Amino acid sequence: MSYLEAANSLPLYLIVGAILLFIALMCLFFIVKSYRAGVRIGMDRKVLRRAITSSATFTVLPSVSILLGVIALSGSLGIPASWLRLSVVGNLQYEATVAEIAANSMGLSLNSSSLDVSALSTILLVMTVGIIWGCLLSIFTMKKYSAKLSLGSRGGNGSGGGYASWAMVAMMIGLCSTFVGSYVADAVVTKDFVPFFTVLISALFMALFELLSKRFKVFENFSLALSMFLGMTGAVVISLFI
Amino acid sequence: MENDTFDYGKYNDSIHRAGRIGLSIGVLMLLSAPFLFAWFLDASIEWDGFFSSIWSVLIVYVPSCVVEYLIYVPLLGPGASYLSFITGNITNLKLPCAANAREIAHAEVGSKENEIISTLSVATSSLVTMVVIFIGVLLLIPLTPILENPTLAPAFDNVLPALFGALGYQYFRKSLKITVLPLSFMVLICTLIPSLMGQTSIMIIACGALSIGLSWILWKKHILK
Repeated sequence: MSYLEAANSLPLYLIVGAILLFIALMCLFFIVKSYRAGVRIGMDRKVLRRAITSSATFTVLPSVSILLGVIALSGSLGIPASWLRLSVVGNLQYEATVAEIAANSMGLSLNSSSLDVSALSTILLVMTVGIIWGCLLSIFTMKKYSAKLSLGSRGGNGSGGGYASWAMVAMMIGLCSTFVGSYVADAVVTKDFVPFFTVLISALFMALFELLSKRFKVFENFSLALSMFLGMTGAVVISLFI
Repeated sequence: MENDTFDYGKYNDSIHRAGRIGLSIGVLMLLSAPFLFAWFLDASIEWDGFFSSIWSVLIVYVPSCVVEYLIYVPLLGPGASYLSFITGNITNLKLPCAANAREIAHAEVGSKENEIISTLSVATSSLVTMVVIFIGVLLLIPLTPILENPTLAPAFDNVLPALFGALGYQYFRKSLKITVLPLSFMVLICTLIPSLMGQTSIMIIACGALSIGLSWILWKKHILK
């Protein structure tokens, strides 16, 4: 059996399937539990359903991008290992970097002609141990930490007033500034204008959909997903001309 | 109106209990996967290779995990945080997704509604990602040429610009006074030191600290209300 045949063999799919099934059940459990709690504290069922619908539509396109990462990694690690790594913890940037570090430390490179099944298991262990710390912190400290933040046992007072709302807005502005700023700098330094124009197109459509959503409620749920889709379509069109 | 018989404190305790048990089992399953792979393939873990690479990985990623934990838990609340840390892709997917759901639901930070909406949002997002990847894996052979078509490549290369363009519009317009400083800082520093463009996980901390520091000053001076 060749390396890639072994890395794509049925038992590995079953192991990965069992782990992902457990995590999927955990997500379902949290959906049911939080939905019921929302109803019990008097939240409108329509609002709860809209949160679910908008999150689902929003997630589809970034998920296709993650799927591309699975395809990219599967050439060297096989489909089951790539499927597992990109469905849990981490992200593509982390997984690809750490897999390369682990392969190099064994005197190998990250391609199927160089790897063997022992190297695959070792790379998978390095990838897992390297990123597991957020989970461990959550298990051991989340309850105390969130209680200190008044997000825990008291669950906040429901007013959300004061500085807390601005802190959240500021953090999101910081997050968006990091990425948008890097695309502007990229356009200035490397003359790669595609990401910058994608930002502009996506932002323009978001503004348009926000206006439309005042008259047509349906846009409220789908405005972000639609803006992203049109921004990505814009990237394809611009790339044809630049 | 809140149901008189509903104890939110008990609900929160049960979320912590479920989160800790779920994550403990999840972590054990994830850690056992490489050993099960080795066992089924009649292979063994190369411990020399493991120890020579794990230190360089831990030095970089443990501080990053700790900082992410400290930043994301207050933004997401406990239920959403437990799920986010086990399912990953927090910065590029779970956090924007929860923020979008919160905007739509008009839930305020620190409120019970915000925690419930964030949990629903992150759980749904995690499930959808799993389903999309599962379908993708099933259809890998027919889908690969389409997804790897060079004409479509710019679309998938620009998911993050498309995401942060739309999300940036939503948040920048909430306060241009906060936006100017971190955005200018990021453009300037990345223009002067281009290698920082690829270090977004570190720059998020710098830009986040600038935004929060500035918003605190503006709020104390009653410029933000």
